[in-house]
Amino acid sequence: MSHNLKNWPIVVGLILATIPIMLMYLYLFVDTFTDTLPGEMIPNRFTLVHWRFLWENIEGKASVWLAMLNTLIFAGSVTLIVLSVSSTSSYALSRLNLPFRRQFLVGVLLLHAFPSITLIIAIFLILQMVGLYNTLIGVILVKASLQLPLGIWIMKGFYDSVPWEIEMAGIQDGASRFTVWYRLVLPQVRPGFFALGLFSFLEGWSEYILPTVLAPANDVQVLSVFLAQLIQDDQHFDFNLFKSVGLFYATPVIIFYLFFQDKLMNIYGGGTKG
Amino acid sequence: MSTSTGITGGSYQTTPSILRSLADQGFDRSTLKHIGTESYLVSERGLQAAAKAGTKTELVEELRERYLGETFASRRLFERFLKTLDNRPRSTRALKTTSPYFRKSLINERFNGEDEFRRALKELGLDLSREQTDQLVRASYTGWIWTLENFRKMFLLPETRQILLNTGFYVASTLLLFNVGFALVLAITTFYLPKGQAAIFRALWFLPRITPSVLYVLLWKWLTWDTGFINAVVANFGVTPRNWMLDTAANAWVTVILINGFIGASMGMIIFSSAMTAIPKQMLYASEVDGANRWQQIRHIILPQIKWPILFVTVYQTLSLLTSFEQIFLSTDGGPGSSTEVWALSAYHNALDNYWGNLQYGYGASLALVLVVVGVIMSLLYLRLFRFKELVKLPRIEQ
Amino acid sequence: MEIVLENFTKRFGELTVIENMNLKINEGEMMALLGPSGCGKSTTLFAICGIQKLNGGSVYFDGQDVTLMPTQQRNIGVVFQSFALYPHMTVFQNIAFPLTVRKEDKLTIKKNVGEMAELVHIEELLERRPEQLSGGQQQRVALARALIRKPGALLMDEPLANLDAKLRLEMRSEIRRVQLETGISAVLVTHDQVEAMSMSDRIAIMKDGKILQVASPDEMYQRPENDFIAGFLGNPPIAFLDGIISAGNVKISSGNIEFPCPENIEKLPDGSHISVGIRPEFYQPGNPYKISGTVSFVEIQGRENLYDIRLKDGSLLRSIQSANVSPLSSGTEVDWGVNPEQLFFFDNSGKRL
Ligand SMILES: Nc1ncnc2c1ncn2[C@@H]1O[C@H](COP(=O)(O)OP(=O)(O)O)[C@@H](O)[C@H]1O
Ligand SMILES: [Mg+2]
Repeated sequence: MSHNLKNWPIVVGLILATIPIMLMYLYLFVDTFTDTLPGEMIPNRFTLVHWRFLWENIEGKASVWLAMLNTLIFAGSVTLIVLSVSSTSSYALSRLNLPFRRQFLVGVLLLHAFPSITLIIAIFLILQMVGLYNTLIGVILVKASLQLPLGIWIMKGFYDSVPWEIEMAGIQDGASRFTVWYRLVLPQVRPGFFALGLFSFLEGWSEYILPTVLAPANDVQVLSVFLAQLIQDDQHFDFNLFKSVGLFYATPVIIFYLFFQDKLMNIYGGGTKG
Repeated sequence: MSTSTGITGGSYQTTPSILRSLADQGFDRSTLKHIGTESYLVSERGLQAAAKAGTKTELVEELRERYLGETFASRRLFERFLKTLDNRPRSTRALKTTSPYFRKSLINERFNGEDEFRRALKELGLDLSREQTDQLVRASYTGWIWTLENFRKMFLLPETRQILLNTGFYVASTLLLFNVGFALVLAITTFYLPKGQAAIFRALWFLPRITPSVLYVLLWKWLTWDTGFINAVVANFGVTPRNWMLDTAANAWVTVILINGFIGASMGMIIFSSAMTAIPKQMLYASEVDGANRWQQIRHIILPQIKWPILFVTVYQTLSLLTSFEQIFLSTDGGPGSSTEVWALSAYHNALDNYWGNLQYGYGASLALVLVVVGVIMSLLYLRLFRFKELVKLPRIEQ
Repeated sequence: MEIVLENFTKRFGELTVIENMNLKINEGEMMALLGPSGCGKSTTLFAICGIQKLNGGSVYFDGQDVTLMPTQQRNIGVVFQSFALYPHMTVFQNIAFPLTVRKEDKLTIKKNVGEMAELVHIEELLERRPEQLSGGQQQRVALARALIRKPGALLMDEPLANLDAKLRLEMRSEIRRVQLETGISAVLVTHDQVEAMSMSDRIAIMKDGKILQVASPDEMYQRPENDFIAGFLGNPPIAFLDGIISAGNVKISSGNIEFPCPENIEKLPDGSHISVGIRPEFYQPGNPYKISGTVSFVEIQGRENLYDIRLKDGSLLRSIQSANVSPLSSGTEVDWGVNPEQLFFFDNSGKRL
């Protein structure tokens, strides 16, 4: 639209505003494979030395592969729990005559807006008491339950948009409510199911505060905590090493982002909108 | 970060932060100083404990016979003295394990019962009044008690005011400048760009949100620290390198707001963009035919059409800014000093981060409770932005 | 199968939609539930098939009380307004679904689906997906899916509303054909009187949750029980003029005519106000009692011409005439007439006399 109006000032303005982002991410890639003399901006040689953490442990740290495995378990389990619980419970909330359905919905909506991170101190104390402190299970359960209100909310939005008549037809055709859900309704909300799975996985993969508070020990460390501690403990600020570990850590995120950008934008933006 | 102390149990422990807060409450400072400093005393009690723990009998005997009752002002002095003895401990390790038994101080020491703690207090040889003793006992108790003390403290502490101001400033400026302000700029400018260009800018601005926060903040550190990129650039103009993230309070605030704002802008951008694509095209064409310039079109057509999304983003983001502290924690950690310490971060520091005193779960939790109350109130407000009636409509299959 | 609704009552929260309705659908007949939108037709249908619970009364299938029987066991086929095909399944899988959930073996399913496809003429579409079908084809698939279980009755909720005009005509006869071929009892829910009249054996006409009359289409057209029914059936619709009984005569002041009371209203006392219904086909040039007016609107339909005639006092009459003569233009003064034998008379409450 508005062909009579020039666009170039807008583009120039946007580019200027975007410079910090472009610089940060450009050098994120470049610096992991190169060395730069102190005080210089342009790298002077190619090297793989920053990636040596892949085959030898960094001093005082557990193997990065263990952290990777922990992160996979963490993000994977969170995704699994969120998907299975929210795809079933939000169907019930959306379509079944449950007792206290209204109260449940109010609760979910409130929790969805409510920033659960404020509960972390209480959660920390509870995990200590029940003996799940410094275990992956504990932090998985916590992350999954904090993620659930959003998950239920998003899935309910998808279920609500499935036409009632499809379900009525299913019942009419003699199918049980479970069959109707599994064979007729679930296939209709598949896009939402995938988007939520993707979102939960990335949320789990990126989560830092919960694991750092609830499971900081070396053997249950996830990559975010691994990287944060690496940065904290290091005395000579080897940014190239940090960035290489960081890039290693962020690889799945980048890949998913490249492939599913639209889906992700939708759920990060619209998902919260319900 | 790690601790597993004092959660289940009613033990007693006096920490520096307890002493500090007692001082604030008007407890006699010189007494507190006494309690707070450690000194070493060759006492019968210490000797027995040391003997029981396996210290060489010769050494214990030597101490008992010749030095009983002597005091030393610090651990260093005491250990130096031990080394001069005939039966001195052989290794540094043995030395280090012996000395604690003679420490004559309460600070940071854990007592399992009230009687034990009172006895230790008495052994300090201070002239404590009954009230003073009781007050110390109460303050040092680490177990559960029902109390409003934490809230009283919150009101009284001068830091509270500062943190409140910080929080207000942080939320308001990040929200106005980025989460709503710049988000609108992004949404509107990309709205006027060809599809491809718009997609590139949106994708770039979405990166901060999708990047794991530890890595994202690391990139900002790389940009702003002494050895970072900005310094490499401005060095060419003769500016001395400095840590732009932490050198002054003003710079710290700029960084904190930028870090959070760059993340925050993308949510508004996406929501506003999709709201704007829903504006009927005819309306925009009509306004152009009517001679509206671009600014007038934005002002009179676009902004009024997206006022609900703007309200929604404002409420939602206020709430998340109020309560999230991850990025500040990872970048300035409240520094320099406590100039960027915000409410949520302070709750975290008090309860879960050692550096600030010994883990005041209760105080931290009461700070968090304030946020919870604010959160509930704001989420109720947020609820009103939904068509709730429609959401709870009854199922149409009545089985 | 014979379906009986007895004292059926339905409430949604505070709102009572249907109160004490009684209805009987005979074995093998097609019954139309006709009424304006929102009058409770779908609600009645959902009560029969069990998707919604009754707040009072009972449902009987062939004399057996099924009020509390779950939908799945009632063995009723339903065609929904939107057809409600399963979007992720092929036509074959859609039609087969009722048998699949009954875990019938593959061969039986294949055979039955084949028969159904033949019945509704969609043999060559079985591998397509619903979004690749036209509205009429979707309709046929929905019909096949509803019938494959050999249900005791077929319920259709506005089956033609989502089709365009030409398809609607075609499907009207198709649905009727299938119903007659299978001999199944059927309920057709519609707000379109033409559909109801052309497709069904009997019509139950509804208003505000009540059944006003149950009759065959022509009986209902000839002998409507009240002015609502008279107004609902017939296109172009009937027109009403106010009349008054005066000395054994009916006086219609707006038409400036007076004629002796026909037998059925002889007994009305002097001064009674009545409403006179004049169908367009009975306001014609040849009739004895002339009502003059001006042509205010002409609709040329090809075979017939429709005229709106504005009377002096502003009331409106309609006339439909064959198009052998060239149509009159707007503004022409006309002097057509009515025949008392062909008129309907309604009392104050709207009941036909
Ligand atoms: N699930 C429901 N909840 C509340 N009111 C309903 C529901 N379904 C139908 N109604 C109301 O009942 C009345 C009859 O509806 P319906 O049977 O769908 O009419 P129709 O004759 O158009 O099919 C309408 O006023 C409608 O608003
Ligand atoms: Mg209906």
